Amino acid sequence: MFADESPDWNFDLSGSVTCEVCGDEPATMHLLKVVDGIVSHTHLCPGCAEEAAEQTDGLALVLAVPSVLRNLGRSPVAKESGPVVPSDADDRFCAVCGTTLSDVRESGLVGCANCYQVFAEYLEALVEAGAEPKEHLGKMPQRGPETDILRHEIMRLERMLRELVACERFEEAAGVRDRLAELGERLEGGPE
Amino acid sequence: MTFPVITASAVGLTRNVSGRRFPHAEDAPALEELRTEIVEVLGGDSWEHSWQVYDVESMTTVQIDHLVERGLMTPTFADCAGMGRGFAVYGEGQASLEINGDDHIRLLGFRPGGQLAFVWSLLNRLDDRLETVLSYGFDPRWGYLTARPKLAGSGMRAYATLHLPALTLTGRLAGTAVELARLGLGLAGLWGGAGGVVQVSNLRPLGKPETEILQQIGDISRGIVEKERSVRKMLLRDNPIQTRDQIGRALGTAQHAWTMSFHEAVNLISAAQVGMELGLVEVPGMAAESAFGLMSRLQSAHIVTDHMDGRTGCLESPEIDEHRARVLREVFAGAWVRP
Ligand SMILES: [Zn+2]
Ligand SMILES: [Zn+2]
Repeated sequence: MFADESPDWNFDLSGSVTCEVCGDEPATMHLLKVVDGIVSHTHLCPGCAEEAAEQTDGLALVLAVPSVLRNLGRSPVAKESGPVVPSDADDRFCAVCGTTLSDVRESGLVGCANCYQVFAEYLEALVEAGAEPKEHLGKMPQRGPETDILRHEIMRLERMLRELVACERFEEAAGVRDRLAELGERLEGGPE
Repeated sequence: MTFPVITASAVGLTRNVSGRRFPHAEDAPALEELRTEIVEVLGGDSWEHSWQVYDVESMTTVQIDHLVERGLMTPTFADCAGMGRGFAVYGEGQASLEINGDDHIRLLGFRPGGQLAFVWSLLNRLDDRLETVLSYGFDPRWGYLTARPKLAGSGMRAYATLHLPALTLTGRLAGTAVELARLGLGLAGLWGGAGGVVQVSNLRPLGKPETEILQQIGDISRGIVEKERSVRKMLLRDNPIQTRDQIGRALGTAQHAWTMSFHEAVNLISAAQVGMELGLVEVPGMAAESAFGLMSRLQSAHIVTDHMDGRTGCLESPEIDEHRARVLREVFAGAWVRP
């Protein structure tokens, strides 16, 4: 039993649709309102969405589906300040599947694993624009190369190192740095 | 009598096979080949239960919708028309597998009640078993790779279905949605929002282990349902006449209507459920079945399959509405309002 995905599940909606209430800010929320069985859709900016949430009363059903979450609760982001990609990189494309950067921007889809390398910069910017940058945590393939596990551990330790340094826990940081150097060497050596 | 916080639990797990392009960018022969490869794995004998493989292309609308209504297929997969699509059901409905939808593989599990951890652990085991044969596209930075980079990471999405008619009717749900959005969770109406039946799900599978996501959804669902229950009590306290009137009318309609749309049925059952939980009404016909279970089997493809021999090709007809009203009359036959 799965609710329909919101059709707005797409990277660039934030900049392309403006709020239908104030007409100023980019819309990030999709408000679905049912009054007496009649459904109306409204695209709202975070500010107007919160106002609407407060003001709605009576027998109205209101559902807000966030179309792009990264903008919520932060200062509204205009299209220009969305994911930063140098303009000369716009004709970049994936040699394996032929996907271009504008394809990715339009559809929110990449064509293959290699795309993740080719468009890394754009994808990183998307994630960074959300919350703090995060790498994958959780299950990993059992059959994946040992280097995957190593690289994953290295990324985790690098993050830890940055945090330790930031809060001036240098002794612990030194320990993590040594462990990183060790793992780095093992990675260089390649899987046994 | 206690009522569950989470009405139904569902989990989806997305995987792609390494060395192949994602379905929308891959050619038909390669996708057909992949489907054959996966179906062969499903036919192996080391599974605890067996897989039933369907030929998607030759299925009728009613058959497809019936799977969607049972929570075995996503609406997205049912509606898409890509090449090399395949579908299989595990252990008579415990789990299912979509092949070549948006991604190569999507494992799905659905169960009534608060069973997120149970469903995840089942899918996790099935995933392990698949992985002994298939090699998955994975990147240490991005996790399991998917056609939608936004969904890369653990590849897991968990959905808790909640029954929130009071929050819905009082307009408080929008505020909840805004709060949830801040946490990276989405709120969507399951049946267009009818009956206040909504789903909470994680929208970003990156950066959190599966169990942590399940825990978060479970905790948040409990908070929301608590709020729902207190709003119901408040409604009864502040507007006792209107509350009793609405619930009583719902019972009357359910007992005497001769034709009924699915949405109206869901609204009536929802009101009756609230009445039962507030101790205002008795519905003996619902003692053995959850409100959600009753709603589920009143969906069109269920009616056609269970009561009309699956013989109509369309899912909107006066006949379906009549059958639905009859089932509802039977369930509500002995229902009564406490004085
Ligand atoms: Zn606005
Ligand atoms: Zn590619």
